[in-house]
Amino acid sequence: MTILQRKSRKRARHAKADEPVTETSVLSTEDTESRESGTAPDATKELPRVTESNGEFRPSAGGWIARLLTWAVLLWLLLAVPGNVLSPFDFGVSDINLAIAATIFAIIGLSLNVLIGYTGQLSLGHQAFVGIGAFASAYVVTDLGLSFWIAVPVAAGIGALQAALLGAVSLRVTGLYFALVTLAYGLFAEQSLFSFAEITGGDGGKPAERPAGFADDHLFYYLCFGFLVLVLWLDWRLTRSKAGRALQALRENPKVAASYGVDVKRYTLLAFVVSGTFAGIAGSLMAHHQQIIVPGIFSFQLALVFVVMTVVGGLRNRIGVVIGSAFFASLGEGGGAGDGGGFLERTIGLPAEFTGIVIGPILLLVVITLLPGGIGQLIAPVKNWMLGKRFDRHAGKLKEVEVSDVRA
Amino acid sequence: MLDEIGAALVVGVLTGSVYSMVALAIVLIYRASRVFNFAQTEFGTTGLFAAFVAVELWGWNYGLGILFGLAVGICMALATERLIIHPLRDSSRVTLLVGTAGVALAAIGIQFWLNNEQPIRQMPRLVEGTAAAPFGTPVTYQQVITFLVLIAVAVGLVFFFRSPTGLAVQAAQQESTASELVGISVRRVSMLTWGIAGLLGGLAGVLAGPNLTFSAGFLTFGAGAALLPGFMAAVLAGMRSMPGAVAGGLLVGFVEQLGALSIFDEVQGSRALLLFLFLLGVLLLRPQGVFVREKAAV
Amino acid sequence: MSVLEVNGVSIHFGGVKALQNITLTAGEWEIVGIIGPNGAGKTTLFNCITGFYQPTHGTVRYRGRNITRREVHERAALGIGRTFQNVGLVKEATVLENLRTAQHLETEYNPWIGIAGGASSFFEEGRITRRGRQLLSLLGLSEIAAEPVADLPYGMQKRVEIAAVLATDPDLVLLDEPGSGMGPEEAHELGEMLLALRKQFGLSIVMIDHHVPLVTRVSDYMYCFNFGEVLAEGRPAYVRNHPEVARAYLGEEPDEEQHARENGQVDEVREGEHVS
Repeated sequence: MTILQRKSRKRARHAKADEPVTETSVLSTEDTESRESGTAPDATKELPRVTESNGEFRPSAGGWIARLLTWAVLLWLLLAVPGNVLSPFDFGVSDINLAIAATIFAIIGLSLNVLIGYTGQLSLGHQAFVGIGAFASAYVVTDLGLSFWIAVPVAAGIGALQAALLGAVSLRVTGLYFALVTLAYGLFAEQSLFSFAEITGGDGGKPAERPAGFADDHLFYYLCFGFLVLVLWLDWRLTRSKAGRALQALRENPKVAASYGVDVKRYTLLAFVVSGTFAGIAGSLMAHHQQIIVPGIFSFQLALVFVVMTVVGGLRNRIGVVIGSAFFASLGEGGGAGDGGGFLERTIGLPAEFTGIVIGPILLLVVITLLPGGIGQLIAPVKNWMLGKRFDRHAGKLKEVEVSDVRA
Repeated sequence: MLDEIGAALVVGVLTGSVYSMVALAIVLIYRASRVFNFAQTEFGTTGLFAAFVAVELWGWNYGLGILFGLAVGICMALATERLIIHPLRDSSRVTLLVGTAGVALAAIGIQFWLNNEQPIRQMPRLVEGTAAAPFGTPVTYQQVITFLVLIAVAVGLVFFFRSPTGLAVQAAQQESTASELVGISVRRVSMLTWGIAGLLGGLAGVLAGPNLTFSAGFLTFGAGAALLPGFMAAVLAGMRSMPGAVAGGLLVGFVEQLGALSIFDEVQGSRALLLFLFLLGVLLLRPQGVFVREKAAV
Repeated sequence: MSVLEVNGVSIHFGGVKALQNITLTAGEWEIVGIIGPNGAGKTTLFNCITGFYQPTHGTVRYRGRNITRREVHERAALGIGRTFQNVGLVKEATVLENLRTAQHLETEYNPWIGIAGGASSFFEEGRITRRGRQLLSLLGLSEIAAEPVADLPYGMQKRVEIAAVLATDPDLVLLDEPGSGMGPEEAHELGEMLLALRKQFGLSIVMIDHHVPLVTRVSDYMYCFNFGEVLAEGRPAYVRNHPEVARAYLGEEPDEEQHARENGQVDEVREGEHVS
């Protein structure tokens, strides 16, 4: 230790002007100086202190109250209003269907975020991931007569399995070419895989009834919301644990990741499995929400909408992705709206089928050129504030929508 | 069976002509901007719609209408280069791909929106009527013309790239810094390349459209879906070779038509299945491309 | 038994023979220095030792085991750590996050348990965070633990990189130009630090650098590379005074002024003459 201490003191004496000096060395300089000369340290010899408000920020009492109130309002909006509990609004059938679609899309966004945001792999066939989950779940309930609560894990598992297969392909086929493979895979799933009438019920679709007790749309919303919370938690644990760090390293700098001992292949597959699991869950919920699942909705346009909503939401930003996905769902995409049409249709008169597909790409282009962090970047200050930190306008700034730097 | 394969070959080559045009543009743009241009087929659909509007709604002369359509395709390509590709030139390539996908989606969205009352349109052919019926499959004049245009375009490109301008383009693609130093404006080259891509896209659109009815997103995922086959042909060309793109497009057309063989009657969506397996096979077994020459020439 | 044994390693890329028949050893707790002009194949050798490249001939042995065909992450697990020429860190993450990532192999819980939120993962996370902070404190980097690496100045990034490589708990550390961008004073301090770290952690070190005086002072044994071959090897004093070595760096006899000026290596070599 002594050698290093001595080094840092010498460093302080000879520090170059543009090099920030650590606080320890500044203190050491003072010690040496006063000990050597026997006088108080000379202010002119002191090196500038780089003050950093690293210390814990504690909100004031008023600040706490404001935050608690905001949390309360948020929870009220999410939980009470859709259930018409303690609410002056009347959440009708179409409203609640939009809310359900929003939660399902949020789960899909989180699933795609694992691939694009955490692993740097672009999936243009994600509708297939969801569709497989949907049909698996419908099959389990309708053909095998098992409970919904068994169907969901099965759907998750099958979603994970097909994702793993695709992941294995991604190990041999990089970046842009892999995106092409997912595109072909999505089209193949839509036109071929989902057409096996025995399993998918053909063009007419496959029935998938609600689990017992959840026939009421409002209750089903709470069910979906619960799954969303579960997925959010799993995603949170992923990023906070060694798998998440391994993914971040292998996305940004695979050589460094490997030299830290990260098995690039294994963790890539892990990411795909996680993504597929989330997508499978979403698919299952989608099937049982609509109670009949038709192959036709899993189109290429849906795949593009998924990508757009994830990027607009903000890559690697959970809350942003949730909001972005919910937004696109509320525009009436993916058949989630039922007959009521999206809210934009009813406010502006722009027909449901088009809103997502016109507004979406415009938002996407705005995000990747001007606001790389997407919605997540916009709300980052608010989010930090709500978590008890200082309100910082510049939080969450990203320089570029970094998907991955791949040699194609 | 032999008849069927023959028919598949003929139809494949004819539909493949469109794929080759798309592939040529994709290869060009990849060589210029290192980008997978997902908006390529939308240059075509937009051009097609423009031509349609000119001919059917404004009553223009067919030839002028076609030229108008091509012009629109070129403009769209140039706009994409200016507004998306150029600002993002330092971003990762996947980001650029997402950007072009956004352009494609925007175009499709606008087509849906403006086309709402009557989603399905029809464009008259350049020359009506059936030219021949080899192997029992009717071949229209339109399809033959499409094929001939492809050949003309391919030959034209060969000559173009041997010309001084063309050599400058190649130089800029291979070594942009050195080219700048020699006085070649990389900026202009980029715009020229995208302009050519827009032209190729427009050609694909106005030639393929009249063969079938069309609606929004026609050339990308609709009846004339050429985006994925075009990319597959480009992959076969190793993303580099233009003759490879031509050959690749015709081959992909043929493989796709094999899905229409009667032995595949049981299999739903056999075409998509075949394309998927074919793409996987090529990428896993010969990722450097099949129709690639040793030297990075035209 | 030596820790590292490179035996007859050759590698070529297309027509270029990047390495030809390289034989190099590093013993327990030895510091081996590698010098040589740019393009001599030094980093290529590191890439062969760590597994980023597969040599066309020859073997690499670590503690007697043949690791020539092993994957990069497997070699890391065996105890080989490495730094990179252009700072090998996860730049968008914070310093402390990098230290945690570097302890990937030390983090003992199944990644799936981590995702599911099992109790063992929380405990391990705390442990590796503490260990990371200790390492940062050792290198005087505690202040910047929460800073994103990308925001740090180059010199500081290099120190973080050393902390990270120590976090992987290596026995053998390959340092690729740890002194790049440093002036002679800083390079001297770096040398002191390396000697101290070797003692504290019981490391064997192989380092590439252009600060010939630094390498000379710190190494127990040196190699000079040129054009993919070992030009000279031996004790530092021997290598430094070897005429071939001077010629490799300067192109001509050392007292040819104009040739010396043409070659950018001059300042460092000359400064070395003054200091020692």
